[in-house]
Amino acid sequence: MASEDRTQELLKALSDAVVAYDEEAVAELSKVILEEGIDPLDAIAKGLAAGMETVGDLYAHQAYFVPELLLCSDALYAGLDIIKPHIKTEEQEAKLKIVIGTVEGDIHDIGKNLVKMMFEATGWTVYDLGRDVKLGRFVEEQERTNSDVVALSALMTTSMLAMPKVVEMIKARNPNVAIIVGGAPLTREVANLYGADGYAESATNAVQEVINTIGRLREMRAK
Amino acid sequence: MAQTPKQDRMTPAERMRALLAGQPIDRVPFFPFTRGFCARNVGYPLESFYADPEKSFWSQVWTQEMYGYDGSPAIGYAAYGAWEFGGEVRFPSSQWEQAPIITRFPVQSEQDVWNLRLPDVKTAGMLPMMMQFSKLQQEFGTSINVTCGSPFTRAGNMCGIDKLCRWMVKKPELAHRLLRLATDHGVEVVQYWVDTFGAERITARTSTPAEANQVISPKQFEEFAFPYHKELHEKLLAMGVKRFHCHICGEHNLNLPYLARIPMGDRGILSFGHEVDLETAASYFPNHIIAGNVEPQVIQNGTPQQVYELCRIAIEKGKKAPGGYVLMAGCELPVMAPPYNIYVMKKAVGEFGWYDY
Repeated sequence: MASEDRTQELLKALSDAVVAYDEEAVAELSKVILEEGIDPLDAIAKGLAAGMETVGDLYAHQAYFVPELLLCSDALYAGLDIIKPHIKTEEQEAKLKIVIGTVEGDIHDIGKNLVKMMFEATGWTVYDLGRDVKLGRFVEEQERTNSDVVALSALMTTSMLAMPKVVEMIKARNPNVAIIVGGAPLTREVANLYGADGYAESATNAVQEVINTIGRLREMRAK
Repeated sequence: MAQTPKQDRMTPAERMRALLAGQPIDRVPFFPFTRGFCARNVGYPLESFYADPEKSFWSQVWTQEMYGYDGSPAIGYAAYGAWEFGGEVRFPSSQWEQAPIITRFPVQSEQDVWNLRLPDVKTAGMLPMMMQFSKLQQEFGTSINVTCGSPFTRAGNMCGIDKLCRWMVKKPELAHRLLRLATDHGVEVVQYWVDTFGAERITARTSTPAEANQVISPKQFEEFAFPYHKELHEKLLAMGVKRFHCHICGEHNLNLPYLARIPMGDRGILSFGHEVDLETAASYFPNHIIAGNVEPQVIQNGTPQQVYELCRIAIEKGKKAPGGYVLMAGCELPVMAPPYNIYVMKKAVGEFGWYDY
């Protein structure tokens, strides 16, 4: 069992490897972390997710752009693929759930994939419907998974028009689901116009926006 | 608003000729940047805008007649390159679609990059339809446009922008190979157009969505986008092409110093999205015509008053551009935009867009 110092050393190295988008190092460190008996949940939260938080800061300060985000995401998944199977099932089921997809008519998915990665890095269970997703599929998947959140992505002015329709369809079946939208033509004003509960300006603030949205909705229901 | 609107003192063709020559004009020209909107406007299926050159051409002529705006019919699509190099696209049909989308990239693996070859410009992808369209432009007497780039955006269309992004960092030789093919293809296409129509009437069009700073850094732009775009324009100029319309799509503020070093002819048109302030654009391109930059999402979702206000701001800034200015949407005018909002844009030109001469 690793000592506290050794644990911190390994977790920092893991975090740094994510920031350096070094897939091989992330994979190797993930194996070592498990071998040394470090809690896999800590490995994800204080290693992988911590690294992505730094990546998010670098992106916000325009030191990293999409190419770096994608490579950091690859590194993150190299670690998640190794660590996640070691997380106890009951710990996994307790996590919040999100359905995500790019709406019908739209095949742009880089932003959506980065958002997905951010949620997975922070321990959410993500149901990714992919791209060009028929509107009814969002409703079906939300009901099938009983997800807490549905996240919709669109990059085109035509496909964004599908969003208010999806919002209406989901809310008609389950008004308690939080719905957030994102994508280049979206703004918070448009998100409000469409009836969405939240708006993610970028992949790096999507998780916090969802947490804030859920908190706000719970307060409103409690009144 | 004015109770007795001023009347145009020039035809659209006279206005554009004078603007391109750097001569005085009566008012700011207005190109709404309509594409699929025109098909919907005249009752044609959206798919026909991209699949039927006759319907595409006439839907644009009739829509222009209806609204009284400037410019001339044009054809092109943002996903160009995938189909032309051997992949597949799907034409728009549903209410949520706008333009052809890529359903299969021609490059799926690293080996595909090395196996890829330049296509036949007479038969590949949408090129036969574009040539048919240009023959209508020739017959109708308008500028003959040929889309030829940008190399970076087209390279992204060949393999997927996510692969291109990864390769730029990890395997730059793959990215450079695709950029080389995209550049050479652009040159070959324009050569075909020059051989068919002569260089004099041709406007070479490029657009730069994939290399915006929402995607890549200015350093990556400098290495992977700028040299190829510059080379493309230099070769076209050497062929005798004089006119360029470069649509600088998206957030490009950090790329402007490089874009300003790409030759744009005498005088080029550079159109911008809402992300680039028009005064900033004019400062980088003082000798060229600036166009833009009314946010398309507002034209679709906004009130007429919001659209009018954005146009007022754009016109008042754009009129100060030393090289001249055209009011345009910041990117393709949304297919589902309320028709009245396009009328409002023309009204804004009528209120704010006059020059005294």
